[in-house]
Amino acid sequence: MSKCPYHDPFAEKREKGPVLETEFDGDPVAMILGLKDVRKAARDWKTFSSNAPFRVPIPREEDLRSVRQFPIESDPPEHTEYRKIVEPAFNRPNEPEYQARMTGLIQEMISETTSCQSVEAVSEFALPLQSRALTYLLGVPESEAQTWIKWGVHVLRDGDGPTKGKEMEHYCKEAFKRSSGWEENNFFSLLNEATFRGRLLTDDEKLGFANLAFAGGRDTVINTVCLILSHFAHHPDDLERLRKEPELVNCAGEEFVRFATPLTHIGRKCPVDTEVHGVKVKADKLISLCWASANFDDTVFENPGEIRLDRKPNPHVAFGNGAHTCLGATHARLIIRTLLTQLTELVSSITFLSGQPKIEKAPDYERVNSFESLQLRLNRL
Amino acid sequence: MAKVTFVTESGEEITENDATGNLMEIARQNDVDGIIGACGGVCSCATCHVRVKPEWIERVGRPEEEEQDMLDLEDRADERSRLSCQIEMTEELDGLVVEVVSL
Repeated sequence: MSKCPYHDPFAEKREKGPVLETEFDGDPVAMILGLKDVRKAARDWKTFSSNAPFRVPIPREEDLRSVRQFPIESDPPEHTEYRKIVEPAFNRPNEPEYQARMTGLIQEMISETTSCQSVEAVSEFALPLQSRALTYLLGVPESEAQTWIKWGVHVLRDGDGPTKGKEMEHYCKEAFKRSSGWEENNFFSLLNEATFRGRLLTDDEKLGFANLAFAGGRDTVINTVCLILSHFAHHPDDLERLRKEPELVNCAGEEFVRFATPLTHIGRKCPVDTEVHGVKVKADKLISLCWASANFDDTVFENPGEIRLDRKPNPHVAFGNGAHTCLGATHARLIIRTLLTQLTELVSSITFLSGQPKIEKAPDYERVNSFESLQLRLNRL
Repeated sequence: MAKVTFVTESGEEITENDATGNLMEIARQNDVDGIIGACGGVCSCATCHVRVKPEWIERVGRPEEEEQDMLDLEDRADERSRLSCQIEMTEELDGLVVEVVSL
């Protein structure tokens, strides 16, 4: 195994069959493992429904939040209409001014970091980067990030620590009131004014949108940023290659996202008794779309355990697939690509000092998919 | 100047009269419904799927292997399918018509 602690815990399970019969929250879950099967199921919303409040994430989240998340916990055609409400905000990363701001932010953060002897990359680099960048997406003052940073890496579920879910919901309720003082068409004012089928959104719907915006793109971005920094520390040749071949940045970004697959899997509910590749799933029970397994499927990806900056094609499903494809993917891709470019322009090498992997423990697998801590030195170019 | 027309799934026709760059970028600049181009043109997402009108297939050309691998994963792909990010607009393609295939 390479020094990188990430690995694929599903390889042997895929050999045994297309579905892993596992359990979460005391219930059976049929976990789909192969890339083609996962993609197909992700698009079949009639058989595998997202109309399952609190149960699309696995484990379920009733104890972590008070509202159903929108648009993710709904099916077409409602989902399509809900999603359209926030799409304008999530398309903003395509604007040149937005991209220039992101470049400025990452340049500033890398420059500060290279002037230090060392950085704890999770809490001192990736978390502030994610939070400050999110202020751009939501169109709120950058100073708001200071509050969000205090919520930690995973606002709803951070190890065994207390959930910050309630605090975040309280913040969001206040933000809807404060939003008239922020820039025009910010995320909160957009939701205040939005209509669904001729009526204003309810407070719970608005809170459900905000809840997802804060929880969904948080640890995922942070983990991917840390993976990139750790990879370059262990593979300086890849940083050099990217410096010499900047045209690989988009490809490399996709490959890091594939390899990181920060969200291991997601749930779908079967509305009626269903058979999934020979496994019987009773009505109202869950299947899981295992992105982390699919992205290491060696029938599709050659040497999936290897990070290849020029992997192409790269049909990974780290951002999901089908109607529910990650709304924040454009923003996340911009962060990742800008980070890659700025690292090649500002950093000569990265020194690994110490790291503590974070292990996701489930009944039938243990997956290292992030770092509890990652101490690095970024050496100035 | 080269002209390209996108026909969306709802039947709307959107034409760019001065088309340069790849078709996915042109579609996005013209807000063509159904063309997302999520991965930015590196053959990773298949969210820019189009079908080329039969009379244009020969001039546009067939997909390269890596593009075909992506299309093979798409249920709605057929022998006219291309990923629009992989089609570079040229004067030779002046008048091209493609049909958008949404996710």
